[in-house]
Amino acid sequence: MSEHTTTGMVTVTIDDVTASVPKGTLVIEAARQLGVMIPHFCYHPKLAPDANCRMCLVEIEKMPRLQTSCSTQVTEGMVVRSSVPTVKQARKSVLDFILANHPLDCPVCDQGGRCDLQDFSHEYTASGTKFVELKRVFQKEYFSPVIETQMNRCVQCLRCVRYCDEVMDVRALAPAGRGTLTKIKSFGVHELDCEFCGGCVQICPVGAITSRLSMYEFRPWMLKRTESTCGYCGDGCQMTFQAKDNDLIEVNSTLGVGRNNGDLCSRGYFGYHANVHEDRLQSPMIRCDGELVEVPWEEALAVVAEKLTAIKSANGADAIGGLIASRCTNEDLYLFQKFMRVVIGTNQLDSSARYGHMNGIHALQRVQGTHRWSMSFDDLLSANAILTVGTNLTETNPITALKVKEAVKRRGAELITVEALEPAIGTISNIALLSTHHLPLAPDQFASGTIGLLKAVIQENLVDAELVAHAKDYIDAIKKQVDAISWTDIEARTGLTAEIFQDSAKVFTRAERAVILVGQGVLRSQGGYGMTLNLMDLLVLTGKLNRIGCGLAPLAEENNDQGSVEMGAVSELLPGGKDCRSREAQQSLEAAWGCSLPSGEEGTLMDMLGKAKRGILKAMIIVGENPIGSLPPDSGIEDAIGKLEFLVCQELFLTDTAKRADVIFPACSYAEKDGTFTSTEGHTQAVRKAIEPLGESRPDWEILSALSVMMDHPLEYESVKAIGKEMRDLMPGTRTLGPSPLPPRPCLDTLTQYLQEGYQDTLATRYCLPGMKATHTFVLNVGQSIFHSGKFSTRAKGLIQIQSQGVLSMHPEDAERLGLACGDGVCLENQLGQVKTTVKLSDRIPCGVLFFPEHFDQDIQRLFAVSVDNDTHVPYFKCAHVEVSKAS
Amino acid sequence: MTFYELAMGMKVTLRHLLHYRPITLQYPHEKRLLPENYRGMLALLRYDDGTEKCVGCDLCEAVCPSRVIRVISAEVPNEPIKRYAKEYDMDMTRCLFCGLCVQACPVDALGMTREYEWAVYNKRNLHLNKEQLLAIGDRSFPNREKRLEFQHPNVAFFNLPFPGQPLKESQTLT
Repeated sequence: MSEHTTTGMVTVTIDDVTASVPKGTLVIEAARQLGVMIPHFCYHPKLAPDANCRMCLVEIEKMPRLQTSCSTQVTEGMVVRSSVPTVKQARKSVLDFILANHPLDCPVCDQGGRCDLQDFSHEYTASGTKFVELKRVFQKEYFSPVIETQMNRCVQCLRCVRYCDEVMDVRALAPAGRGTLTKIKSFGVHELDCEFCGGCVQICPVGAITSRLSMYEFRPWMLKRTESTCGYCGDGCQMTFQAKDNDLIEVNSTLGVGRNNGDLCSRGYFGYHANVHEDRLQSPMIRCDGELVEVPWEEALAVVAEKLTAIKSANGADAIGGLIASRCTNEDLYLFQKFMRVVIGTNQLDSSARYGHMNGIHALQRVQGTHRWSMSFDDLLSANAILTVGTNLTETNPITALKVKEAVKRRGAELITVEALEPAIGTISNIALLSTHHLPLAPDQFASGTIGLLKAVIQENLVDAELVAHAKDYIDAIKKQVDAISWTDIEARTGLTAEIFQDSAKVFTRAERAVILVGQGVLRSQGGYGMTLNLMDLLVLTGKLNRIGCGLAPLAEENNDQGSVEMGAVSELLPGGKDCRSREAQQSLEAAWGCSLPSGEEGTLMDMLGKAKRGILKAMIIVGENPIGSLPPDSGIEDAIGKLEFLVCQELFLTDTAKRADVIFPACSYAEKDGTFTSTEGHTQAVRKAIEPLGESRPDWEILSALSVMMDHPLEYESVKAIGKEMRDLMPGTRTLGPSPLPPRPCLDTLTQYLQEGYQDTLATRYCLPGMKATHTFVLNVGQSIFHSGKFSTRAKGLIQIQSQGVLSMHPEDAERLGLACGDGVCLENQLGQVKTTVKLSDRIPCGVLFFPEHFDQDIQRLFAVSVDNDTHVPYFKCAHVEVSKAS
Repeated sequence: MTFYELAMGMKVTLRHLLHYRPITLQYPHEKRLLPENYRGMLALLRYDDGTEKCVGCDLCEAVCPSRVIRVISAEVPNEPIKRYAKEYDMDMTRCLFCGLCVQACPVDALGMTREYEWAVYNKRNLHLNKEQLLAIGDRSFPNREKRLEFQHPNVAFFNLPFPGQPLKESQTLT
């Protein structure tokens, strides 16, 4: 229990074992620490005590009756007995009452074999229940496509209801009825509609709530458990794959393991089927007369090696470019960049971290000299104030959102949300409801909001005194910039008054420990780099940058965005996040690799596409990334890919990009290979092989290694561990699993340099308000839905059952104004084109904003123009201004 | 003394010589009388209305010491939450006829017949699928049980709801 004070210890005796435990510990927890297992149903370490199941009764000396150990705190000298006959008799009676109604259908129940009730019944009531009356029978009610309820089995411990409320903050479940006839229901007459985090399934002590995806496919003892890391978002949840006969059956998470500590989101819990989808590529293919035909590995590798060698000798190494997805493991990413730099000999390589995460990395590197957060995930819990900017946290990083919820709900942190969100109660949780200061903004106005906060800090004189003493020029320069911007202008853009900015700034400055979470709304939208730098300025000005427990945290969308940066799989960074142009870094790397590094110019994703369009770039190796699916047509991506002489793809599926490839290598999903992922906070965690590779698919590093051998420049490794060893030798501290290392501290030299002159060059561009949209247009924003991640998750049958298509979300007021109802067809139009789609009403998003999930419809991409950041080369294409009309 | 012992020994021989009783049966013309608890070929059984008893709980698979049984269970099509064995295979070449699977079965869906004439030319013919096992049951156990929900006074005994089942008194009130 988090609230308990840990000052002072008390001595307690449980079943003749004496020990001292922190004051305020619950008897049941103290017993567990002493190795005494007290049976329970309703108690769970994550939840507040409820003491409704009466199973954990114990005898406590000097107390008149048996006490529930889950709600009694230990006191000095307490003597507890949990295995005396009276206690055993009480437990037997409790079980008698439960079994009076619980059906004995253990053979067909998915929980059978790992059921608390089954275990306790074996222990206490060998003969079953005394009651011979009819058992209660609830009529079967349809609950949800992925969650199955069997209320006949329910023991009414209400763990699911309390979890949904206390931990997830979703409040989708409620008990209905009284006594033994209580059943768990969703609100309303419709089927369950919630975040589908699977928490209720995992927390149910019996088989009353089970997963429909794996229903009846297994018995617990058949499953092979593999501890691994989730491959969807950057939160890096630890989870357990449960496999049977080389098929993934289900996913679990364990209390006390990883940063998620037993929690998962819908993607993690229901999204595992994407790995074993039937459309997976299972053998290499090469293009013969325009058709892709399956060939043996040897042939495909030989074709690629020959062709790449030919292009390299004819056009030079810089005619070949490489692109890798950040969903690959660190080992794959490391070997990929080594392959590109050493075997091919080019700096033209990039990863999907370029789509936004690089903005955060560059901002961190520029101001504090680190390429990681200078705070840890746990600092979120101990923060006094949390500022989220453009995160849409619940949907993009659900487990980070849980930490924020816990910090606010249990620890009283103050939450300032600068989000394109309205505080509306809905089917999924909404952090705007928890925030103390909510600044609802359109997705194109986060920059205005940030400037508003900075202006408030300067104007209200909240600047750190120490900073005033030694960085006067810096403060004056910013003051000059923000003074030039009037509150009227900010109000016109944000619709928010100066007071709310001032209040928020005061709360943020006052906090001892303050954390800024920066989401995709900032990192992936126009001017993302500048906005992130401005938020760094906010930390610097309030004197928090160098304080323990404070920091700016850019959140990663893909699971290994952070890893791809640290492994050097982006053109401007070498492994370890070192600058590619630094001679010192080059020399140490050359010494380690025993060969020289390429001297050619760097080429980021957009540079490569530009060169491909001009015919300078002849060949590309694309590993797991689908730029045709990700980038809008405005980027000319189809033209660029089409002009390539030779395209090699390593893919799981025949994606839009893979369809254009000359050679496709089938790669393994992360469930079929070993490796590591680096979470968004920089914590490297193990990925382990749960099932054998499907068909002839191989891990990405093996494919690259085989290619390097055939190109006469062998990069051979015995196993993933050998790559890991090389990585560890090169970058001390990398790939050390186990408890996460302490976060890096800001580099003071870099900070001083930034305060002296580093801030100057971009100051004018950063401190200016973005333009306003015409009043009759809407801001169309594409982004992540809570149920999907990229295009990969749309192959997961569970997630497709939850959300199968993209529909446009619109605020009901806007809809009313346009005469639209839920499900109506709408026509979106701007200078780039016209797209038809259907509309859904959602009071979650602000008026004047439209939201479309990015996972489904390619067509809507036509409305987006691409612009490239001058400093970080990040392509921005998530926001557009459109006119909306009712489709005829 | 020695002669006496010899005589006694020979007595048995002589008795068998005179009272000749053949041990060898002229199989297949003659067949042995099987004991009451004979454990022969395994079979899957049905209820009296022809539905399969097996609920696909995999307990037989778990208990089998020689991994004879392979069960793939699933939800009965169009009958939500009802579990059955979509596939049920027995590799009889490995079976010990120990009968543990029959004991483990919670719904008495398995039975040991008195069939033993299962010599085959091809071992593959001893890999039996669900249809074959049910056919053996059909011919060996013509007397079938009532469905589970009609056997027990307490209908929720096995959590098998069926249309028109009686509710608890308190439930009808709500």
